[in-house]
Amino acid sequence: MRILVVEDDSLVASSIKQWLVHAGYTVDLAASAEAAEISLGAEAFDLAVVDIGLPRIDGLTLIRRLRSQGNPLPVLVLSARGSMDDTISGLDIGADDYMAKPFRLPELSARVRALIRRTHLIADACLRHGVLTLDTARRTASIADQTLDLTRREWAILETLLMASPNVVSKDRLMHSLAGWDKDITPNAVEVHISRLRNKLAEGSIEIRTVRGIGYRIDAAAV
Amino acid sequence: MPTPSLRRRLLLYIFAPLVVVFAISVFLDYRLAKETADAAFDQSLVDAVLDLASHIQTDGMQPAVRLSAEAEAMLRSDPADQIYFAVRDHGGRLLAGDSDLPDTRATTDNQPEFSDRRFRGHWIRAAVQAIRSPHGDISITVAETLAKRNRASGKILTAMILPNALVVIAAFLAVYLGVRKGLAPLEGIEDEIAARSPRDLREIGTIQAPREIRPMITRLNALFGLLRDASAAQQRFITDAAHQLRTPLAGLQAQIELAALAGSFAAEPDRLVRIDEATGRVGHLVDQLLVYARADPSTAVTQTFECVALAALVEKAASIFLDRALAKHIDLGFEIASGFVAGIPWMLREALANLIDNALRYTPPQGVVTVRSGMRGAFAILEVEDNGPGIPRDERERIFERFYRIPGSSSEGCGLGLAIVREIAELHDGHVELAGQNWGGLRVTMLLPAAELAQS
Repeated sequence: MRILVVEDDSLVASSIKQWLVHAGYTVDLAASAEAAEISLGAEAFDLAVVDIGLPRIDGLTLIRRLRSQGNPLPVLVLSARGSMDDTISGLDIGADDYMAKPFRLPELSARVRALIRRTHLIADACLRHGVLTLDTARRTASIADQTLDLTRREWAILETLLMASPNVVSKDRLMHSLAGWDKDITPNAVEVHISRLRNKLAEGSIEIRTVRGIGYRIDAAAV
Repeated sequence: MPTPSLRRRLLLYIFAPLVVVFAISVFLDYRLAKETADAAFDQSLVDAVLDLASHIQTDGMQPAVRLSAEAEAMLRSDPADQIYFAVRDHGGRLLAGDSDLPDTRATTDNQPEFSDRRFRGHWIRAAVQAIRSPHGDISITVAETLAKRNRASGKILTAMILPNALVVIAAFLAVYLGVRKGLAPLEGIEDEIAARSPRDLREIGTIQAPREIRPMITRLNALFGLLRDASAAQQRFITDAAHQLRTPLAGLQAQIELAALAGSFAAEPDRLVRIDEATGRVGHLVDQLLVYARADPSTAVTQTFECVALAALVEKAASIFLDRALAKHIDLGFEIASGFVAGIPWMLREALANLIDNALRYTPPQGVVTVRSGMRGAFAILEVEDNGPGIPRDERERIFERFYRIPGSSSEGCGLGLAIVREIAELHDGHVELAGQNWGGLRVTMLLPAAELAQS
């Protein structure tokens, strides 16, 4: 996996590089949008980490240019504007995810992993979560290569939870994901499916956590 | 001092002279009509004088008046007034009539002269005329009381005042409506300014404005422009400051984590943890300061308000805060009902984050924190309730002050959280309520005016 980090602050850039290299990625650095465009033209990358506050051409312009050229490269944006900037958090600029500075490096690598996973889902149609693998093409699930026997409703719930991870999924949304089979599914029915899923996932130390008043989140022991 | 009203001044300055003009006009009309009436009454007095003159006989030694009792009764008969007369010869000797009628002599020949005087306790009008005779001028005086004349002037006055009063009222109405209509553009501008929120610094349109007040509006617009520029400059400064502060902090944070990874502080791992905590606190303080500065009403004027669904806001917060709650073994739960406000999304998000952050910070492990959204009366609410230590009653007002921390509480907060929440609530025309029991627990509620849902 090759990652391009576009960041003009050398301390931040070198820290990110060190961390990601440690996590097993190949990392290239670019200190400006111009340098980034040259690198992107010359090499193939799996992901870019882009700081918004670049000199001359800012990060948003860089992403907009990439998208206008039809480049689908997943982009994780770093912003020093924090939570105040609604245009960033809305992700309507073509970025796939964003983080506010200062950030925790473990969270950065978690987001990088999630973004790459999402991209690869499109490629090999597999959702992975810890030892759990969900093959969305064959509609099969397995824990550590042992096939899991899931009903179609359980499978749909698991897929929805995995797609949203690490975010919480509301019970409403789960009911919508089941609406294809059951027109009038009740919240109670969702709870029944969840409790069966929990039993089946227990041996992979994968937990479906109840968030009181909202819904569920799927958690796994760290890989 | 009462505010000077342009409309009242205009009405006063137009209407006061109008009233004077009408008063003068009524007075002149009355005089003219009364004179005409008086002339008619005077003529009948003169007729009586001439009638008396025809009864004078001058063929004897002395002039004499041959007036039969019937003729005198005829002369004195009048339905309303008393008639007096006196005929006197050249020497002033009474020939006929009332002897006590004052002896006035006409100064001109063959011309009646009139006078008003008191007689027998009443005002009378007297006509006197001198008649030539061989025995010298004979003076004939005929007088009458004023009942007829007074009745006539009364009638004339009423006849004059009624139509004139109608004209005055009509003129007042015309002037009032005219002034109102003339000043309508001013009221339009006044309404436009009054209807604005204090955050609205857009220019006032000058197209509708009368030429006279355009210079004033232009000045006002220039002032609005200055305020907008100042606010925009402030926003830019905060954005730049945010970048300049956060980037080195990000570097520092990353270095600490790399040091931990490399085991650089293996001898004293505690030290690294403390550096990490301190960095986290500086980062949090920078965030809070910038949010507080940016939510300041004078800075926030250029921010745009949009319809915000509080339920979605709370749902998103669940994903953000769940891990922190789990790490502290706090049961973080939600009670989500629908509620919409017109607001600045990042600010509402920030306010809610501060409420949840406070609750998670001060509630001990195994505690319960519940986040709510919904409606209460005309307000949409965001509410966070915990079963932590609570806030003593006498601290509940001070807790909203910047950098205030309850004496004896743990030192990890920066003391800006509730100040930010209150500032953001007030910027949205809302307020914050604190509730809790004496034994502890705290419920903080942000009440914001609910938006009417035009678009559902």
